[in-house]
Amino acid sequence: MAKQIRFEYKGQEYILEFTRKSIEMMERQGFVASDIVEKPMTTLPALFAGAFLAHHRNVKKELIDEIFSKMTNKEELIRKLAEMYNEPIMALMDEPGPNDEGNVKWEASF
Amino acid sequence: MGGELLRSSVSESLSYTKIFYEHFPFYLSIGMTYDQYWNDDCMLVKYYREGYKLRNERKNQELWLQGLYIYEALCDVAPILRPFVKSGTRPHPYPNKPFPLTREEVKRDEKEQEKLNRQKAKALFEAWAARLKLPEEKGVSANGNNN
Repeated sequence: MAKQIRFEYKGQEYILEFTRKSIEMMERQGFVASDIVEKPMTTLPALFAGAFLAHHRNVKKELIDEIFSKMTNKEELIRKLAEMYNEPIMALMDEPGPNDEGNVKWEASF
Repeated sequence: MGGELLRSSVSESLSYTKIFYEHFPFYLSIGMTYDQYWNDDCMLVKYYREGYKLRNERKNQELWLQGLYIYEALCDVAPILRPFVKSGTRPHPYPNKPFPLTREEVKRDEKEQEKLNRQKAKALFEAWAARLKLPEEKGVSANGNNN
């Protein structure tokens, strides 16, 4: 089951999710994931708006911006959105089995 | 100039769309539809891949089993294929039922074999007893002594 974010705004339930088609559409419109670090002010709202494409394609940009401005805990929201954005591509990669020989263990310092 | 090269190669390598299109034919070949790949749950690919692996394993098992039957058939006819074979030599009979594949089938076969062996032993014993022409039973006690 794909990762989703669900919330309600003004009586309407919204499901945010990324499909391969929605990512293709975002990239066709110029979205570049690696710009998140260099241009966060434009990239983060675009990432949020892109998550509407799968289930709410016809929602206007103004409404999406309004919802985005009222979302709480934005840091966590962006982290989750980035995780969701990577999911369609990660699903294409084979994860090695837990006991496969030669597995590399790693850890991050953050 | 070097920076431009670096920038273009980085943005190209991060194009998810390109990677999606690269993998698309494979998933079409294992039964996924266009809509499932592009618009449905993105995790579906994982299960299609698992299904594909299982299908391959099953196919491999079937081919191996087929090879085993062919090998068995060759071994069975081998006696009559030898040069200078004695007249009257017959091939071994081909197994009268498929090889058991599961533990349950092996157990069931063993039980059937045991039952057959018992019936065979009983028939042999009865034939032997009939040949002995034992005296008719006249009050044989439990300890075997005649009364």
